[in-house]
Amino acid sequence: MKTIILVTAIRYLTPLFLVFSIYILFRGHNHPGGGFIGGLIGSIAFVFHVLAYGSARTVNSYFQLTVYHQDRQQNNSPTQYMWDMVSANTWNRLKNRTPDWRFHIFRVRPAYLMAAGLFLATTSGVTGLLRGKPFMTGWWMEVKIPFIGSLGTPTLFDAGVYMLVMGMVLKLVFTMSKE
Amino acid sequence: MLYAIVIGIITATVAPLLHRTMGRFVVIPMALLPLLLFIYFCTFMPEVVGGHAVTQQHVWVPEVGINLQFRLDGLSLIFALLITFFGTLVMYYASGYLDGDPLLGNFYLYLTLFMTAMLGLVMSDNIFSLFIFWELTSISSYLLIGYKQAEKDSRVSAWQALLVTGLGGLALLGGLILLSISAGSYTFSGLLTQRADVLQHAFYVPAVVLTLIGCFTKSAQFPFHFWLPNAMAAPTPVSAYLHSVTMVKAGIYLIARLSPVLAGPDIWHYTLMTVGGITATLGAVLALQHTDLKAILAYTTISALGLMVTMIGIGTDPAMKAMLVFMTAHALYKGTLFLVTGCIDHCTGTRELSKLYRLGSHMKYSGLAASLAALSMAGVIPFIGFIGKELLYEASLSSYVLLAVTMLSGITFVAVAIVFGYRVFWRKGEDKTQLQHHAGFPLYFPPLVLAIGGLALGLLVHLVPTPLLQQGMRAILANPNAELKLSLWHGFTPVLGLSVLTLLLGYAVYKSLTVLHYRASTLKPLYRYGPNTLYHMMFEGFLHHAKAFILWLQDGYLRNYVMYIMFFFCGLLYFILWRDTPGIDFTNRIYQLHEIRLYELVVFFLVIAALIFLLGTRSRLTSIVVMGLVGYSAALFYILFGAPDVAATQLLIETLTVVIFVLLLHKLPAFTYLSHQFQKYKFIAISALFGILMTYVMLLVQQQAMSTSELKEYFGKTSYLEAHGRNIVNVILVDFRGLDTLGEITVLAVAALGIFSLLRLNPERGGKQ
Repeated sequence: MKTIILVTAIRYLTPLFLVFSIYILFRGHNHPGGGFIGGLIGSIAFVFHVLAYGSARTVNSYFQLTVYHQDRQQNNSPTQYMWDMVSANTWNRLKNRTPDWRFHIFRVRPAYLMAAGLFLATTSGVTGLLRGKPFMTGWWMEVKIPFIGSLGTPTLFDAGVYMLVMGMVLKLVFTMSKE
Repeated sequence: MLYAIVIGIITATVAPLLHRTMGRFVVIPMALLPLLLFIYFCTFMPEVVGGHAVTQQHVWVPEVGINLQFRLDGLSLIFALLITFFGTLVMYYASGYLDGDPLLGNFYLYLTLFMTAMLGLVMSDNIFSLFIFWELTSISSYLLIGYKQAEKDSRVSAWQALLVTGLGGLALLGGLILLSISAGSYTFSGLLTQRADVLQHAFYVPAVVLTLIGCFTKSAQFPFHFWLPNAMAAPTPVSAYLHSVTMVKAGIYLIARLSPVLAGPDIWHYTLMTVGGITATLGAVLALQHTDLKAILAYTTISALGLMVTMIGIGTDPAMKAMLVFMTAHALYKGTLFLVTGCIDHCTGTRELSKLYRLGSHMKYSGLAASLAALSMAGVIPFIGFIGKELLYEASLSSYVLLAVTMLSGITFVAVAIVFGYRVFWRKGEDKTQLQHHAGFPLYFPPLVLAIGGLALGLLVHLVPTPLLQQGMRAILANPNAELKLSLWHGFTPVLGLSVLTLLLGYAVYKSLTVLHYRASTLKPLYRYGPNTLYHMMFEGFLHHAKAFILWLQDGYLRNYVMYIMFFFCGLLYFILWRDTPGIDFTNRIYQLHEIRLYELVVFFLVIAALIFLLGTRSRLTSIVVMGLVGYSAALFYILFGAPDVAATQLLIETLTVVIFVLLLHKLPAFTYLSHQFQKYKFIAISALFGILMTYVMLLVQQQAMSTSELKEYFGKTSYLEAHGRNIVNVILVDFRGLDTLGEITVLAVAALGIFSLLRLNPERGGKQ
């Protein structure tokens, strides 16, 4: 599967797909689209990335953040130290490091996405209860936002569906692509 | 009264924590709670004795009539006092009995929970809150009986108790629902006022049968008596508390509570008398055949419970009087004897009658308690047991059969009392049994209190218990003028003669006990056909057949699962179509064929061709691609018919399916036909069946939708105005039918977790990675 065209194209297409999927998510209320379709498009973005690069690379670039750090040396000024940290975590992050560098990994697992989605969908319904109305009574903002339209608790619900669908597909694909 | 329950539950839940922090001193708060509750219930005494019931009401689920309605009348108060008083002593006793046990905290949790549930049960006026507490006692008693988790015996017995009483609970629920339907009320007081309706109603007999099954399982009546002796696997404080004083009395309590409502027709009285009589006889006979002290007590308890049920069955004033007094006396002496047995077990390490001699010299106080209790059990003046026995004889004088049953039980009680009060502790002539350790204060003090209580109640009978028992009797008879007068000495009556005769016969039975025990061993083969064996046969047979059925149904082949689901679905659909819906009128729909457009035909033939090709292919990759083709064609159909949302979803799903298949493809073995071609035709037939049925349903829906449905208009109108969205499909999904979507995505999440665990399961490498 690893043709140079696919690999290069996917690098630029994946973020594009993601933005598009979010657009589809918000568009859904007035035009064809919605959380389910958006979630599928978003997950397809990652699925193609997995096909092109392998799941380890996908996880590394999109689902985990490795933060490198090191204790401040005696001869470094605080400004110098800050600069080093920022550079180590941004444009120099792929450079080899000496063993005294430590790192923390913040990882988003697909299961977390699923859980968060389910949680979001349920809580969006609870807002109705808090206002003394039946469960899942919708509530809408008065103002309209360009491109997205007006926001309300059903939008939150749809976002929950989006995250859940995406998490589910990713969970399957990541598990299956592992040897 | 609600606070009593709440405090009980809170104390129960913190018991393990307290045990961790306070160590063995956890007994202080745990025993203090029932003591305080006892005092609390004593404060109700003047009001209840004055003839007023104390009521409290808390709304819980008013829609279905489940409320926490409490009502404390004479009967409830008697039980509440017994429960809390025994609770205090048993809690204290347990601290000695289970001293140093690492799970003592859990033990107190279960026991306190049980006590609270029991209190709730006797105070409930609402029948459903009674049922909830009833089940809670079943569950907590399961935990208590199975307390020694390491022993198989204990676990099996706990299961048995839970299953038998749980089954009874189910029957009870049915009975209570029928009662509430026939009376139109959810409270016992309401049932009582609607008594005439209940008796007339067609549900009367089923309600009686179901309710009594519930009570009989709980009170260990024949043929459900077998769980009680097995439940002796529990630690002795549990046996003393649950199986002589509280839990088994719950059934008696409920029968007594329902007696004013349901009594009258013959079925009620004769069922109770028959079952109670059989149980009393059976318990008495079996008690004489055992040599394990706890088993003897268990069977005499069954016998006593049978007597109480018989008394309620007789239903006359003297019978109810006898039931109440006997119940109180029985609780006092049986509790004592159980606690003493626990003490013996703890100190000598055995409960076998043949190994226990002359314990009195080492265990003076326990021996004293046992002797006092035994005198009460045997019905010797001036103990309360004497009054109870006199009343029992008096109540059953009306019928020779009942009198014989009561006499038989009485004789057994005397024999057993001599065993406990004399044979084990004081009889001379044999070698002394050596103690492993001496009985501590917590082990002999509680039984002594109970035994002295039996004596005190007997001596002060006209002062202390009479007014309360009178109120209890009025509650059972629903007659506010019923009189209950007790006195220790009745004069020289025929009943006194019977009492003396019982004592003499009991002594004779005691003398011939060794012979009886010897004879009993020849009866062993008979027990193979008892209800206990039946229970085990049913239990194991159920497990065996369930296993066989599951193995047959879930053979591990996905195709078969799918096939079963399809078959079931088709069958259900076919049944509904056949039963409920009119046929399709095709005649005036032929014209629709003219409206078919060319590109629809093209897509149609594309799908058909793809399917035919699919059936002949021998490569997985080809079949996946062809399936993708079919899916995309379906998406095209959706677009043609103006459903862009569905089409988009379909397209994306097809894409993902192909991609996921490709990911898995290289892991699969080479494609071969392992089974006969016939299998393929079978699956084709099922698919065709499914397709045809769905097509039919679609046509039917189309035919109906034109005329009847207003949904389209409704959604079209309200979707923008009320739900702020122009895309009706999406608005339906996230707003109008949002709850459905929530359910669906929950299913999706659960399914994803299931698939994940299946994928991670690696059976060839021996289980999970």
